[in-house]
Formats: sequence, C-alpha cells, structure tokens
Amino acid sequence: MAMYVLHESSSGYALLEVHGLDEIGQNTEAVRTSVSDLSRFGRVVQLTAFHPFESALDALNQVNAVSEGVMTDELRSFLELNLPKVKEGKKPKFSLGLAEPKLGSHIFEATKIPCQSNEFVLELLRGVRQHFDRFIKDLKPGDLEKSQLGLAHSYSRAKVKFNVNRVDNMVI
Amino acid sequence: GRGGMKGGSKVLVEPHRHAGVFIAKGKEDALVTKNLVPGEAVYNEKRISVQNEDGTKVEYRVWNPFRSKLAAAILGGVDNIWIKPGAKVLYLGAASGTTVSHVSDLVGPEGCVYAVEFSHRSGRDLVNMAKKRTNVIPIIEDARHPAKYRMLVGMVDVIFSDVAQPDQARILGLNASYFLKSGGHFVISIKANCIDSTVPAEAVFQNEVKKLQQEQFKPAEQVTLEPFERDHACVVGGYRMPKKAKAATAA
Repeated sequence: MAMYVLHESSSGYALLEVHGLDEIGQNTEAVRTSVSDLSRFGRVVQLTAFHPFESALDALNQVNAVSEGVMTDELRSFLELNLPKVKEGKKPKFSLGLAEPKLGSHIFEATKIPCQSNEFVLELLRGVRQHFDRFIKDLKPGDLEKSQLGLAHSYSRAKVKFNVNRVDNMVI
Repeated sequence: GRGGMKGGSKVLVEPHRHAGVFIAKGKEDALVTKNLVPGEAVYNEKRISVQNEDGTKVEYRVWNPFRSKLAAAILGGVDNIWIKPGAKVLYLGAASGTTVSHVSDLVGPEGCVYAVEFSHRSGRDLVNMAKKRTNVIPIIEDARHPAKYRMLVGMVDVIFSDVAQPDQARILGLNASYFLKSGGHFVISIKANCIDSTVPAEAVFQNEVKKLQQEQFKPAEQVTLEPFERDHACVVGGYRMPKKAKAATAA
C-alpha cells in the first residue's frame, strides 16, 4: 500500500511519497536511523508535488487554517490533484500521513482520502523538516528562514492585535 | 542615561569561554554580548562602545544575571550552553524578549531564534523587539501545542526552555519531538516552586531530571542559579544521542 506524507512549510505545501515501506516496516526505531542519514532517507521519501503559496496574505490564511486543523480550498485542490483518485465504493490503495489528526479528520470527511497521524508519521516528518531544502530544488539556503520570518510576524501580529479570548488586550 | 560602565578606553572586552559571549573588564566585570543592532538598547540596558586598534567601534550590551536565567547559568559556571554563533535556537517562554535579544546577539546574523510566547502582553514587546532583529522569529502561541506553529519553525540545534509550568518536561519533550535534531541539545531552567512547593528544591530537580530522561533527553549537567535566583536550577543535556558516541566516550 502506497503512503504519502504532507509537510506544511512556511513557503508552501509539500506532498512526499514514502517508498520501501516493507523494508523499513512500520517501525519507529528503523525510521529514526534512516532519517539521520540523508542518502538513505532521500531514497525512502521522495517529493511528489510542491504548492508554493501565492502571496503573503495567502500564506497567512493557510497558516491560520493549518494551526486550527482546518483544510483550505487550496489544500484540498492540491491534495486531490496530486494524490491517486478515490473511487466511490472502492477501498483506496494509499494513505496520507499528517502531523495532526484534527486536520486529518477534516480532510477525510470532505475528500474520503484516508489519513493517519501516529508516531511513525511524525518520525518521517521530522526527516522531511530536517532535509526540506534538499527536497525543494528552488529553495536557496536562507530562503525558508526568510519566509518563516515574514509569516511569523504577520501571524503573531494578528494574534496580539485581535484576540477576543484574552482579557489582557489593552484598549486605547 | 550615562554612568556605570561607559568610557571607551578604560573598558577592555575579552571573549568569554562560551563563543559569542564576552566579558567587559572595567571597575567591575560584566557579562556582555555584541550588539547586533548598534545604537539600540532593548530594555534600557547599558551599552559599552569599544574602539578597536584600527579605529572601528564595536558596541556591546550588558547582560544582567538578575534579569536573565541564561546569564545566571553562565556565571554559575555551566560547562556548555550549546547556543553559539550560527546556531538555530527554539526559545520557549520568550516573555518580553530581554534574554531572547542577548541570544540573538549571541547566535549572530548566521543563526536564528524562534521565540515562542503565549502571553499577549509580553508578546507585543517581543514582536516589537523582533522588528529590529531579523534573526528573531516571534511566535505568539502556546508552547503546549507545537503543532499549531509547525509551519513557522525549522529543525533546530538547541531548545532553551523557561516556561515555569508544572508539566514543563513534557512541553520540552513535545517540542523536541517536532523540532530538535537528533544529537541536538536542550537547556531548561527549573523553578522548584512552580513544580512542587511542598518538597525540597533538590528533590524537585531530581524528579524533573527523571522526567527528562523519559522524554529521550540525556541530562549532562545541572547548575543552581544562586545567588541570582532562589531555588532555581538549570539543566543541560542532549537529545536522542547516538549510541555509538556514547560507547566511544565510555571507552
């Protein structure tokens, strides 16, 4: 059975296919050793597709949704375009690994794409996070930090300014 | 205003044993960091300008151990802080960003600091400070839920944690499982009162060290923050340390 993982980065969504699952098995310890070795990890996990965010505003919308475990229209079309089709009445022959189960249940409800979040998936995503700039060829060193910086500022500024749940917001 | 440690030629600045940290030798010695944004103070701390032999000037900021647990740990003689020039650091419990600003000086333009703070009141100061320091990535979010900020943080070399919560070992472990490299390091400040005020501080520290070990951390050293803080300890160690290296050091 094929397996994919979704990595949400500050510059865009990345979908990666996990190969040789039989070889490593659903064994966390085995993934751990393969993650540290890039040449091995690069053979196990390969980039299927990358969807860069269109603008700073788009990125902010995506991070707000992902942080709340909500699937955006952009994420939905990215997944439906790049994953194998799910046919009605047939059991899909693949699954999608996610960092967070809440987003997974939203995706499953709307698209019927089977999702999973577990220790094994988290180990794979650690590897993707560590080697991310090697997967995305257009990213130069430092590019990712720049997009994290811009996105973190807009995300955090919005939190500090408009928050109805917190009492310590000063009203001037 | 002026006063205190000023006056160019009388003050000599020497590198500290920890790369990126310096000691200003004047009437009294002071811990300082090289100001990443010369001409600007962050929280009204004193600045010292030193003239090099070639006439260029370097500005340092005084790092007060009574206001910063990391500075207190350094003066307490901690063997390694792992935070050094070029390092990527995840800082949990960033507050208004006073210590974060010194960590930003310390890692320099090649490094970066992901600074997480949940309180909006301190967060506002943190975001403002980060506007001038482009190696600080401010994140106003709950450190208990690293999944919420997983899009904003990359893999880091070190996590510094100062969250003062009863479940802080778990919070550190959770963040490490997302963002800390295998073989990376942690520095955690533990305030005994915040965890359990009914038992002696030393027992609290021992218990926390045990909890850290269960989260795949390997505590290597512990220093108290006396005389700067009461019943505080700082524990430093590694994360998911490779088994081979362990055998090598044992041999």
